[in-house]
Amino acid sequence: MTEQVSVYVSQTGRLVRPRFSASKILLTLLFVLLAFIFVFPLYWMVISSLRPDGRVFVDAFQLIPTELSLDSYNTLFEEEPYGRWFLNSIVQTAGFAITAVFLCTTGGYALAKFRFRFRNLLFVLILVSQMIPFHLLIVSLFLMIIRLGLVETYWGAIIPIAASPIGLFFFRQYMLSIDDEMLNAARVDGASEYQIFWSVVLPNARPAIATLFILFSLEYWNNLLWPLIVFRQAENMPLAVGIARLVNQYRTSYDLVMAGSTLATLPIIILFLFLRRQVMAGLAATGTGMK
Amino acid sequence: MLSPITAIIHHKKIVPFIFLAPFMIVFLVFKVYPVILAIIMSFQNFQGVQSQEWVGLSNYQNVFQLVRFNQALTNTTVYTIGTLLILIPLPLVLAVLLDSGRVVQSTLFRTLIFLPALTSLVVAGTVFRLILANEGFLNLALNSLFGLPKMRWLDTADLALPSLILVATWRWTGINILYFNAGLVNISRELYEAAAIDGASPLQMFWRITLPLLRPTTLFVVVLSIIGGYQVFVEPFIIYLGGAGPGDGGLTMALLIYRTAFTSFNFGTAAAMGVILATIIFVFSLIQFRFFGVFNRED
Repeated sequence: MTEQVSVYVSQTGRLVRPRFSASKILLTLLFVLLAFIFVFPLYWMVISSLRPDGRVFVDAFQLIPTELSLDSYNTLFEEEPYGRWFLNSIVQTAGFAITAVFLCTTGGYALAKFRFRFRNLLFVLILVSQMIPFHLLIVSLFLMIIRLGLVETYWGAIIPIAASPIGLFFFRQYMLSIDDEMLNAARVDGASEYQIFWSVVLPNARPAIATLFILFSLEYWNNLLWPLIVFRQAENMPLAVGIARLVNQYRTSYDLVMAGSTLATLPIIILFLFLRRQVMAGLAATGTGMK
Repeated sequence: MLSPITAIIHHKKIVPFIFLAPFMIVFLVFKVYPVILAIIMSFQNFQGVQSQEWVGLSNYQNVFQLVRFNQALTNTTVYTIGTLLILIPLPLVLAVLLDSGRVVQSTLFRTLIFLPALTSLVVAGTVFRLILANEGFLNLALNSLFGLPKMRWLDTADLALPSLILVATWRWTGINILYFNAGLVNISRELYEAAAIDGASPLQMFWRITLPLLRPTTLFVVVLSIIGGYQVFVEPFIIYLGGAGPGDGGLTMALLIYRTAFTSFNFGTAAAMGVILATIIFVFSLIQFRFFGVFNRED
């Protein structure tokens, strides 16, 4: 037998030298520094939100604060409708994610599993529309929701942005990997096309649906522009619009704005810690069309 | 007996269109129709909701004569080029290093650098408004580490775009690493083994194998960055409190369109600006597709 070679190949195909070497230690240290730089603004956001009133800049030298205060959080809930914004965000995000998942699963299934005229042309046109800047649409959409009576409504915030080309693309690609035999077997058994979709396709697409649901939720939770146009009344706004309002209203009360930002971000980061693999793989896949 | 409606919705030729209908209806009504409407509006004098009259190309002529529009166009182009110059090479190199097997706990680092991508752009804006403030952490750090004088990041016209590019770097590096990583995983390991046997150095492998085979991923990230860069809106909107920054230094095309539409209620002009923005994005994306040779490929 040959001797164990000193170079072997990593899981993803790169050549790896075993154990520790100077270059390995240096590179790891470089990434420790980078990770610190990238995480620091988030840490700073949390810490600044906890500093006592008016101490945000004065105490900035204390990287680990000695004095903490929840005053800004109290102000957020007592003097601003922050709780309401949070609730709006949850309801609107869920509504958006469910609607967008419905549109992408049905549409993606049709494009992957049926043959009809202009199918490929249609698919390419939908993909190209991804290049259309949303700012080209805002005036038309604004006039449309006024006419449709959807201003200040959840549906007005959800429906106009619910047909996601990327989501459709992602689900279509996933569907292509599902075996036609399974669908044909159900057809032979006399199931209708809609029964097949509900009881064969959807259960088999659970991972893709979960990924879409997570990514759509993240998208809506973090979205500003469209809800900013739809909502002018404070009590209807989601968090992103509410925080944008806070920034304008309390220009120098950084602790308050940071408290609002922290509460909008922490739930996402905590959820992410449980769904890390799915979020990161899903984003890479929706981006590059690979699974 | 099947009722006629049941017979129709179960008809073999009809079924695919019923599945396609929900997406297509929303797509046509809220994407295709508004584009057509915007193009029509761009040829009209359309102020407020009432008065509409055809004015030919005069909206476009007016737009290009606006000092602020040219400023916004220049700013947005510089911003996009700036983000391209950082957000392509930096994540690419970091992804390759993380994938080289020479970094301990590479998944942990990928995750930590990715965390900013989870934040809302609104939050990215508020956090950097704090960090870039005169007494903020960036000045504090630069001053105590390198003895640099305090810079007025938020009040200096020339520092507006560098500030915005800094925010973009923080927000997007992690996600671009993810894209490049997905591309790297698809490169066959045999190529590297063969190159190693032929005595190629890691640097040679990077230039001769990794970079050429990452072309599709790189093209994708470049196009995405152009589309995203030209639409930059939320960060300046938050950092400059809905304004345009000092001396319009942070004025972007998207910001100007928003303000033209919803502050001046000059819908015709806003629509013309939107059409110009869409054209720029479309043309630049096409140039990239050509540059990367998408149209010449056999497959």
